[in-house]
Amino acid sequence: MNERKELFRVEDPFDTQSTNDQFLAAVRENCAYQYTNCKQYRTMLEKLQFTPDMLKRYSDLKNLPFLPTVLFKNHRMYSCPEWKMPMKVTSSGTKGKFSRIGMDAGSLLCGLRMVIKIAKWRGLLSPKLTNYIILGYEPTRDNDMAVMKTAFGSTFLAPALHRTYALKYRNGTYQPDLEGVIAAVQRYCESDFPVRFMGFPSYTYFMLKKMDEDGIHVQLPEDSKIMLGGGWKQFYKENVDKQTLYHLVKKVLGVSEENIIEFFGAAEHPILYCDCPEHHFHVPAYSRVIIRNVHTLEPVPNGTPGLVNLITPMVNATPILSVMTDDLGVLHDGGQCKCGIASPYLEIIGRVGLRDIKTCAAGAADYLNGTGETV
Amino acid sequence: MIFANGMIYDASEQKRILKALEHNINETILHRPLDTETVIAAFDELSQRLRRGEVSFVTPKMQVERKDELLQTAVRMLRRSSMEYKVKMELGQNFFSPKLTGPPLGFDRLEIRPRPLGVLMHIAAGNMDVLPAYSIAEGLLTGNINILKLPHADNGLTLEICSLLVAIEPRLKDYIYIFDTPSSDLETLKKLASLSDGIAVWGGEEAVAAVRQFAPSGCRIIEWGHKRGFAYISGYENKEAELTALAEHIMITKQLLCSSCQVIYLDTPHMDDLSDFSKLFLKHLEQAAEKYPINDVGAVAAMTLRRYADMLECTLEPPVNAGGKVFQSQHCSITTAADKTLELSYMYGNCIVKCLPEREMLHYLRRSKGYLQTAGLICTPTRRARLTELLIRCGVNRVMRADNMSESFLGEAHDGEYALRRYTRIVNVAL
Repeated sequence: MNERKELFRVEDPFDTQSTNDQFLAAVRENCAYQYTNCKQYRTMLEKLQFTPDMLKRYSDLKNLPFLPTVLFKNHRMYSCPEWKMPMKVTSSGTKGKFSRIGMDAGSLLCGLRMVIKIAKWRGLLSPKLTNYIILGYEPTRDNDMAVMKTAFGSTFLAPALHRTYALKYRNGTYQPDLEGVIAAVQRYCESDFPVRFMGFPSYTYFMLKKMDEDGIHVQLPEDSKIMLGGGWKQFYKENVDKQTLYHLVKKVLGVSEENIIEFFGAAEHPILYCDCPEHHFHVPAYSRVIIRNVHTLEPVPNGTPGLVNLITPMVNATPILSVMTDDLGVLHDGGQCKCGIASPYLEIIGRVGLRDIKTCAAGAADYLNGTGETV
Repeated sequence: MIFANGMIYDASEQKRILKALEHNINETILHRPLDTETVIAAFDELSQRLRRGEVSFVTPKMQVERKDELLQTAVRMLRRSSMEYKVKMELGQNFFSPKLTGPPLGFDRLEIRPRPLGVLMHIAAGNMDVLPAYSIAEGLLTGNINILKLPHADNGLTLEICSLLVAIEPRLKDYIYIFDTPSSDLETLKKLASLSDGIAVWGGEEAVAAVRQFAPSGCRIIEWGHKRGFAYISGYENKEAELTALAEHIMITKQLLCSSCQVIYLDTPHMDDLSDFSKLFLKHLEQAAEKYPINDVGAVAAMTLRRYADMLECTLEPPVNAGGKVFQSQHCSITTAADKTLELSYMYGNCIVKCLPEREMLHYLRRSKGYLQTAGLICTPTRRARLTELLIRCGVNRVMRADNMSESFLGEAHDGEYALRRYTRIVNVAL
């Protein structure tokens, strides 16, 4: 798996121009590996009349079959024995179904390189001892959720002095402890060590609003950072308005916008998408995004909304090299962003389906909301 | 939000209103009966005001396509003559007048006094914007007190219409109660159901099952369940016009209605005929899609994704009836399938084509009898009478043509029944 290693060693984590050939080579290598080692993947490629050697030019990437994330919820697809997977992650899961993605040692190593490189670029690597507030799940041995692992992982970017969790694991269930978190914030403010917040934007907003309403306004120590992350759905347009949230962070915690960093990822596409200073999610060198027409699934030009197809050769253990999420998104030309990164940036605008669909065709409502049986 | 006694109240007053509801209803039943004429006069006045543009029930929250058409239809449907015709068709002349039986062989005579059911609760799913108001109108025409649980996706239209009605005819204020209680508030729904003689439930299997849970025993449950429509093609009268009409019907209704075409059956045993037809019909469908574009990107994307995922699933776990083909164009698709089940399509301009020779029709369609409603019959004139009769025997309740599958007709039955009949009871009194 040398091509993959090479790709994850590239100097500039946002170089999606000069790395195209390397990216293609790594995807081809990964595709061939999955084709040989995962029977289900091979069956689907055969049905779609695609073989790994058809990836000859970079432009052939658009022809690489993509697997909808729902397939990973219905089937366990692995390309190596489970004992070769040091870690498995699961998506947060809706309606009791979740994807289970196996990670091989090589992919974890690649992931580590990626995280370090991106964190360094965003000024998140620091040797200073730091207090962490995690507005998410306390880790347990039985919890494989990707969001939890990401949150926990992020507490190693600067050495942790102490960690406080908003969702504490007590007697077999998670219980929110907002009061405890607010008390910890006040305590941390009295020390000289910087504080880092890590959590879903919606949780963060909810907590800051409560602090604001209760008249609790603090000044976090210098170098403190607010990290907002989670699943992709946290970034839908209709959710918390970003400017309102930034304003609240400044008002309640005394942290200005340049120290607010957002990122997201998904179990089925474990690439770290971290925002630039303009809060845009540029595509990193380890990933490519193809937005597809909602009728025909053909690629659409930048600026046009469509279904989001994500490609990465990072993982061998599970055939997630090209996946299609349930999201609707737009890819913008990189040149449009003032931050100077040339790589295009992805905006997630919503989720497929309609909640308030009006229908009286038998079974249609369940079908559209994703709860119905497949035909 | 609660609408009671002609006023709009905040949800915080729910407890108080619920407490007084039983007493208020009993007082109305005892002292203030409602006759059909009062209701018809009120609707007629509403129709006149709508026509003159003095009032409009199209609220800003409504995203209505073809707004003028909707208003025109409402004006015509609410006119006195239309209302009187509906009542006459469904209940017959002077339905509520007492009559005497005249049995043969010297059996005793008996008085017949048809009456409203009493209190009618309406659980209206958000099928169509006008549906909750329409359901209340049917309840009022039969003299019932109406309690409506608003659908989750309501857009204010029902409240608007009911407020206008009560303003025109204040006597109706004791006959309309509207609650926007969520379906999860079982306690309130139980309370409302306990006061009702009948519950008219519009919705899918889930909605009906939920009503069964909280309805008191003995309460008449009137189900207006979800159905599936289809087209049956056995030759043509005017091929070009009929295929265009069918394609436009599919795009206009987005295949979301009970009467929408999900599956097109061809009167043939040969799969090859399906491919020929699909190639031809796809052109009509694409033209219709361009004429009536579907703007629900999220729903279209969901169905495209689902279709693609199902196709991949089929390779992992092949179904018994494999052998279908997909014909895709820019905005729509046709899938041919080897089985004969009346299934739900992927909607939004994605229809299914199957073989169904005439001699096998009854056998297969009977299996979907619970879902049957509308058939769009396209055939040669000589076959029409025979095929119509055959469709009726299969259990179809509406045999239409390609261009009017989803049209409403004044005086038509609903799913094989006259709704007004079900909202009444026949009382017998000994002489």
